[in-house]
Amino acid sequence: MFINSIKTGVLKGLETTWMLAKVIIPVYFVVTFLQYTPVIDWIAYLFTPLMTVFNLPGEAAIVLVIGNLLSLYAAIGAMKAIALTNLEITIIAVMLSFSHALLVETAVTKRLGVSVIKVVLIRVGLALVAGLIVGRVGAIL
Amino acid sequence: MIEIIKEATLGSVGTITTIMKYVIPIMVVLQLFRDYKILDKIVKPFEFFSRIFNISKSSVTPLLVGIIFGLSFGAGVIIQTAKEGNLSKRDLFLMVAFLAACHAIIEDTLILVAVGANGFILLGSRLVAAFIMTYLLSKYVSIEDIEELEQAAAKEV
Repeated sequence: MFINSIKTGVLKGLETTWMLAKVIIPVYFVVTFLQYTPVIDWIAYLFTPLMTVFNLPGEAAIVLVIGNLLSLYAAIGAMKAIALTNLEITIIAVMLSFSHALLVETAVTKRLGVSVIKVVLIRVGLALVAGLIVGRVGAIL
Repeated sequence: MIEIIKEATLGSVGTITTIMKYVIPIMVVLQLFRDYKILDKIVKPFEFFSRIFNISKSSVTPLLVGIIFGLSFGAGVIIQTAKEGNLSKRDLFLMVAFLAACHAIIEDTLILVAVGANGFILLGSRLVAAFIMTYLLSKYVSIEDIEELEQAAAKEV
């Protein structure tokens, strides 16, 4: 039984890896190309005025856009490039923890048959509400 | 241009290799637990998920895998569980809703704590928000939503 369980497990693991590869690789290509276009800067520029709502400096927009379109790791890199207080880091982190790597992760949830729009709305909505609350509470404290 | 393609190819191969390194051990351990009948005992303390959201008990294992290891791994186990035929469309939607808000709580939290964020606020807000949102959705997920999902699934096939 032991050997059989391992065999079945490895097989399921390979099957799952293959399924995820088919979903993730195309999106990964899109994401990599995106990094070399000015699209990210444009979007960040659009969102800059909105940052005061979350008690964040305008430069934070680029971190949020990178985190949402690319990945959490990319956002960390961008975060290090600008000077932020601990409170600002926590506000950005709370927002990003709800909503990040939307291209890759939404592709994965789509594979499960759940509507892309709903998943994105849930994630971005939670990020906005959480950012507002932590930002406001932080401003009072 | 060639540089970018190279970067994307190497990057995606790297990502898939990492996924494989996690997914195979996860699947082997789950299979062993299942075959030796210990999975039920491990999952038992977490059955409150299925009671709170009124979802099937077989949803609890994929939900736990997603919460701990991440969305992709959770999705993998969800698909395997669905193949065994124990998940309804409603289960699927509520699981994905919960995991959309709250997944990979170890990795995601640690990355952000490493740059100076408050881990308790992060983890707390994610768990609380996911529970409240999924609970509300579980009360209000209507027949139309389920039908919409079925249509989406039909398109996939």
